[in-house]
Amino acid sequence: MMRALAIGGFLASLVLFAAVEWAARREGSRIPTLGDVCAYVTRYEVGSVPVGRIGLLGFWWWLGWHFLAR
Amino acid sequence: MEQPHDLTVEAPRAWDRPAVAVPVLVCLSLVGGRFASFSTEANLYTLGTGGVLIWLGLSNRVPRRPAPHRLGAGAAWWALPVVVFVVFEGATFVMAAGDDFPTFSRLADPLLEDRLVRSAAWLGWLSAFWGLVRR
Repeated sequence: MMRALAIGGFLASLVLFAAVEWAARREGSRIPTLGDVCAYVTRYEVGSVPVGRIGLLGFWWWLGWHFLAR
Repeated sequence: MEQPHDLTVEAPRAWDRPAVAVPVLVCLSLVGGRFASFSTEANLYTLGTGGVLIWLGLSNRVPRRPAPHRLGAGAAWWALPVVVFVVFEGATFVMAAGDDFPTFSRLADPLLEDRLVRSAAWLGWLSAFWGLVRR
């Protein structure tokens, strides 16, 4: 029962990711695509340090390492 | 005189075209899919490919697509899938009930044991990484 709940919850979040991305790609949509959100995050800098870019690339590397190497 | 990096326009390079980038990513993914979890090879390969992509992303060697200067209120919709995922990941992690209430990675592990699925996961990871580098 609890296992089905976890699987259902994760599937729901993945479906929601796809649905929001689909809504964002519709013509005239006011929702930015996930790529635009990421691009906006990469613009964040503290002084001359690209904190947003470092954080996003670092997070993505960690995600790959966690699933594909650990 | 040094040019501000935001204003620098670089000529497209051959390896930046999909006809070159896609086959390279596919080959890298097929190699990555051969390495099992917890192996030294998988760790070194993840470090190597990720390290190169992070280096490319932090240098100005790859032309970047223009980024939006601000996000509208519609961006709040992205909080919905993120919150649902974080709630379930947090609950499954804190309860630590193993296979009875598994975390996302515990659910993904058996799927990733298959070499083809593993290569597909590698392709997804590397493609998204390449997309981030160019943002």
